Amino acid sequence: MTFSKKYKTIFLDVDTPALEKSEKVNIILSPSLYWVKKLTLFVKYVREVKKLLPSIFEDTLTAGNYNYSAYKNPHAVGEETEYFAFAYEDKKIIELLSQKNIPISNVASIRFAQSEMDSLETSYKIDESKSVYVKDDIVVVVPSMWLKESSELDLDSIVLSKHTISLQQFSHIIDPKSLYKIASIIVVLMILVIGELFITKQKTEYVEKQKSLLFSKNGLKSTMFQNKALLKKYKAINKKQTKLRKYIAHILSVRLQGSERLSLLEFKNKILNAKFSGVKKGHAISIESSLKSLLSKNTKIKKVYKNEILSLEISL
Amino acid sequence: MNQINPIYLGLLLVVFLFLSIFKLDEQRTELLEAKQSYKTTQKLTSELKDLKNLYSSKVKIKRELQRILNNPILKASSLVNKFSSSGVKISSKSMDFNALNKLMGKVLNASYNISSMKIKKLSDTKVSLSMEIKW
Repeated sequence: MTFSKKYKTIFLDVDTPALEKSEKVNIILSPSLYWVKKLTLFVKYVREVKKLLPSIFEDTLTAGNYNYSAYKNPHAVGEETEYFAFAYEDKKIIELLSQKNIPISNVASIRFAQSEMDSLETSYKIDESKSVYVKDDIVVVVPSMWLKESSELDLDSIVLSKHTISLQQFSHIIDPKSLYKIASIIVVLMILVIGELFITKQKTEYVEKQKSLLFSKNGLKSTMFQNKALLKKYKAINKKQTKLRKYIAHILSVRLQGSERLSLLEFKNKILNAKFSGVKKGHAISIESSLKSLLSKNTKIKKVYKNEILSLEISL
Repeated sequence: MNQINPIYLGLLLVVFLFLSIFKLDEQRTELLEAKQSYKTTQKLTSELKDLKNLYSSKVKIKRELQRILNNPILKASSLVNKFSSSGVKISSKSMDFNALNKLMGKVLNASYNISSMKIKKLSDTKVSLSMEIKW
């Protein structure tokens, strides 16, 4: 038994007057707001009964979006397992609460009249025209005129049971089972994505580590900028040295006549200077053009001819 | 008895899913960049290592040059070799053509950083030489 007396208790029926004051309340649902069945089932647990309820109520209920509840009959005698099973429409109850000026945030708890009033020994008036009474262990609402006499019902004197229900406010929008399925799929996807994210992060860290190893193993400078500059310097040296060897080979391959000799070969500050002695005026051009044909078009050659000495300055 | 609209919950999950997908995409890009950077570094390292070996390996170059200069023909040419921390200066006021051919054949066919060189013909059989190799 739950002692919930700190809040006012309201009997919710279609004809219940709207609440004037905003306050937290315990709700007892009128039998007109739910379907109830007393069942004898050979199952041990309530959770097993709940699974069977949709098929048990299948033939009774009109079209709608129902939720189900059940609890063991506390007054059952013998070894039989008796249950009270309920079917109710959350949306209808929520709408009725709204009509009665009871915001859902002000609802402390909701119970069935069946669980709270099954011990009534006489009939009780719930309003001017209707009364509740217990018939064959089932709490029913009937017009007061059917009964000889009805007492006034003092709701605050009722000790509330633990058989509460929670209204699914959005069950008409989406079926909770579908919602769980969709949510499960999204969660599984998220786990996969996060797993992939973790693996990718590990791979990135591994690659970064390998890169650092490259730096330390090969004695590279600390920044790529420095290393690139160093590479550029060595490439320039390599280019210059390759050119130097190629140009010397070209100079040595020039065909000289009788008294012509290569008297000087000098390399300094990117300039390769070759001096040929004993060169006749007419043959100087021939030597120059012969060398030019061997070098690339962009190579700059400076020619000086004086006293049978041909000087060729080649820029590397 | 207030409940959160399941649509909001669903949307929240979808938002989280999209955020994690976005984060994954970002991480994948980061991995791709790291791989590219690694390849670039690997290429640079390999090139730098090769070129350094060719032109800056002080010990190796020094050893090779000394072996060349110890050749009996070159030894007889009274070459002056001045080794320093940055390179070597090889010079001869007068040397034989054969010795010059021997020396230059070895030097030009290997990868030495020749910073300056001067070969002057003195007579039909003699030349003067001055050459600097750096490392």
